[in-house]
Parts: sequence; C-alpha cells; structure tokens
Amino acid sequence: MTAVILDGIVLGLQFGLLGVGLTLVYGLGGVLNLAHGQLAVVAAVVVTLVSDTGTAAGVAVAAGLLAAGVLGLLLDSTLMQPVYRQRGESRVLLGLLLTLGVAFMIDGFLIWRYPTRGLSLNIGGGAIPILGVRMRSGSLLASAISVVAGIGLVAFFRGSKLGRAVRSVIQDEEGARLVGVDPAAARRLIFVLSGVLAGLVAVTRSMTSPVTVTAGIDFTILALIVTVVGGLGSVLGAFLAGILLGIVNTVSSFYIGTYVTTIMLLLAAVLTIVFRPTGLLGRRT
Amino acid sequence: MLEVAGLSAGYSGQDVVHGVDLTVADGEAVTVIGSNGAGKTTLFKAVCGLLAPSAGRVAFDGSDITAMPAHRIARLGLAYVPAERHLFPQMSVRENLALGAFPRSPDRGTLDSVLALFPQLGERLTQHAGTMSGGEQQMLAVGRALMSRPRLLMLDEPTTGLSPKLAQNAYDALATLHDDGTTLLVAEQQVPLALKLADRGYVVENGRVELEGTTDMLERNPEVRRAYLGVA
Repeated sequence: MTAVILDGIVLGLQFGLLGVGLTLVYGLGGVLNLAHGQLAVVAAVVVTLVSDTGTAAGVAVAAGLLAAGVLGLLLDSTLMQPVYRQRGESRVLLGLLLTLGVAFMIDGFLIWRYPTRGLSLNIGGGAIPILGVRMRSGSLLASAISVVAGIGLVAFFRGSKLGRAVRSVIQDEEGARLVGVDPAAARRLIFVLSGVLAGLVAVTRSMTSPVTVTAGIDFTILALIVTVVGGLGSVLGAFLAGILLGIVNTVSSFYIGTYVTTIMLLLAAVLTIVFRPTGLLGRRT
Repeated sequence: MLEVAGLSAGYSGQDVVHGVDLTVADGEAVTVIGSNGAGKTTLFKAVCGLLAPSAGRVAFDGSDITAMPAHRIARLGLAYVPAERHLFPQMSVRENLALGAFPRSPDRGTLDSVLALFPQLGERLTQHAGTMSGGEQQMLAVGRALMSRPRLLMLDEPTTGLSPKLAQNAYDALATLHDDGTTLLVAEQQVPLALKLADRGYVVENGRVELEGTTDMLERNPEVRRAYLGVA
C-alpha cells in the first residue's frame, strides 16, 4: 500500500506541474489552452533531437524547455491576440477552437516528421529506500524537480513584485491597470511560463516512463482534470489536486486495473464540479 | 496639471460625454458634480485611459495622454479611484497597498503616511481586502492610490455605499490630503460635501458642462441650490 501511495505522489507531482500552467493561463487570460500537452511533447522531441547531436543532456533539456517557452510566446503574440479582444463566453469559445486547431497541427506535424520519437531519460543509480519502499532514482529526481518548481512558483507569486502583479490581473484586471500593471505583459509572461512548465513535465515524466509524440492529448486531458479539481488560478490548488489525482490513479490501477484509471480521474472531476464547483482552492466569484 | 479639451466619449459608438473642457491646476481641489447618469464616470474613465475618447484631447503635466493605455497613465502619476474600488479581494491589505506602488517597491515613508491617514488599515494589514466593510474598502482604495505618490488623485464618488458618518470621514481625509498639497479631482453626487472640500467645481448634466466656477459661486447659484443642495 505504501508503495502504491508513494508512486501516486510521484505521479501526482507531475500532474500538479502539468495543471499549474493550464490553470494560470486560464485564470489570467480566459483561454483554456487545449494545446498545452502538445507544448510538452514539442519539448520532449526537441530534447531527443538535440541529444542525438551528441550534446550534453543538460543542454538538450534546456533547449527543450526553451522551445516550449518560445512556442508559448508565439501563440500568445499571434493567434491569441484576436481571442483577448473578445469578452466573456466568446473569448473562451474562440480560445478553445483556436488552441484545439493548434493541437491538431502540432500532433500532425510531429507524427508526420518524427513518428517514432520518444523521450526517455535514463537516470542512473540504484533504488533508494523511502519509508521501506525501494524507489527508483528517476522517480525521486522527477519528484524533487516538481517540488522545487512548485516552491519556486509559490515564492514567485507570493513574494515577488512581478508575481504579485500577475495575481492582481487574475483578481481584478481593471484594478491592476489602475495601479500600473500591464495585463497584456502579464498574460505573455504566464503563457511563456506555462510552456516552460509543460516542457518540464515532459522531462520529469520521461524519467519514469517514455513520452511519445502522441502523448499530447493525454497530457492536456490530465491538465484539464487537475484544473477542475484544483480550482482556477491557484498554484497550491493545482499541486494538491495533482497529488490527490495521482494517488487515485495508482490506487485504482493497482487494485482494480489500468483500464479504470481514466474513468476514476474523470469521476473525481465530476464529483468536484458537483460538490465544490470552485475546486479545492479556487477563487470564489 | 490636467487639461481636458473638447472631450467626447461613450460606449459602442454612442457618446455619453459631449465636448467637455476641464482643467485642474497644481495643488487645486476640483469637483465635478451632477446627478446619477450625468456622465461623470464616463468622463473620468476617458481621462484615465479606461475608455478611449471619441474626440478631444487630454493632457497631463503638459504631455498628451489621450488614448494612452490606463497602466501607462497610472505610471505617470495620475491615480484613479473608481466608485467600485476594484481592490484585489483575495490579497491582504498590505499586498493591496504594495501593489499601489507598482512598478516601484513600496517605500516605508509613503506607507507610514497612508497608515497615519487611515489608522484602521494599520490594524488590518493581514486581512483580505474582500472581507472588509465598505468604509474600510474605500480607505484601502484611496490608500492604494496614494502609495504611488500620485501627482493627481482622481476619485469617482468616494462616498458610494457609505453611511453619512463614514462619508464625512472620507471627506475629512480628503481635506487633510488637500491641505498637504495633493491635487484632487472628485466626482460626487453628495454635492454639499464636495463643495465644502473643493476650490472650484463643474456642474455636469447630460454629458455637458452646464456651469463652472469657484465653489463659493456655485453655492450661491440658485440653480445649484435648487437642484443639488435642496434649498428652495
């Protein structure tokens, strides 16, 4: 049981990291980025391409994260501009349609050009015992990276002037403009950050299991579930929901079977919508 | 300090404000009075960049700020406190005040002077803005605006939702600011309070300036007395 729970936490930290990017972009710009998972896959493919040239793994990972961040910047400054000009429901709808189109295009391109690529980062070293369970060093490194990223995000949003400015746009955009915060700049920053975070998920995920070029849609669906359960625009909520869902995932696949895990995760989302529509730590409106 | 010339503005192509001229000199307190729906809020929003004017010009400190985005106008030192306050509800009082100074870091001296003006805020620095009473929220909205050390402070109906006593307190605080040399432009329906504070005033009806002059002059005007001061 302990082993199953620990595996759930390892997985959940990655879920959390995946959900954070999506929930922040939605909280800030009202765009539910359905190409979020594809940003992760792009990072994974770039890491393998750069590694193939014989470059050091660290450099390849940095290139992958950079590529996902640049893709986020491109999306924000081109396709998302007409979306931001819309208000309310039409903004959400146009954002969904455009990002879904981007997801299809990225999927199509990657399957056409790199059908057999998959990222697997092999972290050396033996198993390390935690609470009497022998954990793979890849799992531990992946979790450590997720935790550090999560703490970094919380510190950024709570403690820095820029992070506070981003939160001000989420809470009251007009108030933010009145104190001198540029909402467009905040949105751009967060879109880039969400790309980098998606890339980081691909990297940490590949330490425990391979990330294939078709994994984008699965990543996106997981991120959506995490966002629903965690609440919009909440970093801590995303990580809390991620860990909870990670445990639900491993427990149900261990005791029932892998085939029910997606159903169980969706069930968790449905229960959240019914009983706590704002999510675990979502803002009240 | 502020020069508004021939300003027209409105919503979806329909002007609500028509060709308004208005000036505020350094250190002055000026009020814009008029009934509900007269166009005061639209006028203020067009000045501070929340609404793009359809015609006219706005100059602040000699530079043209017409149709400049609101966040850039705010950074020039024009602070606007809207009637709805637009605080950050899930941030503490301290964080709201700190954001007032954005993009600079909040400095101790300014914070101390804001807390001296509104001692209640000092007792609630860790409380979330969304959980405070209307009067406290109004203090915080003004305090947040003051954190930027503005050259001009614009307030839209600062007494909205306040009891007569709290409204008086708010105006006492504004009078203190005025005495300290802060330049003020205040839109108000509660005309007696506004006329007592200000040096000059504009009467706006149906989006046009109907009357302007010193507050002494406005207080003696029979039309103003009948329409806004309840004197026959």
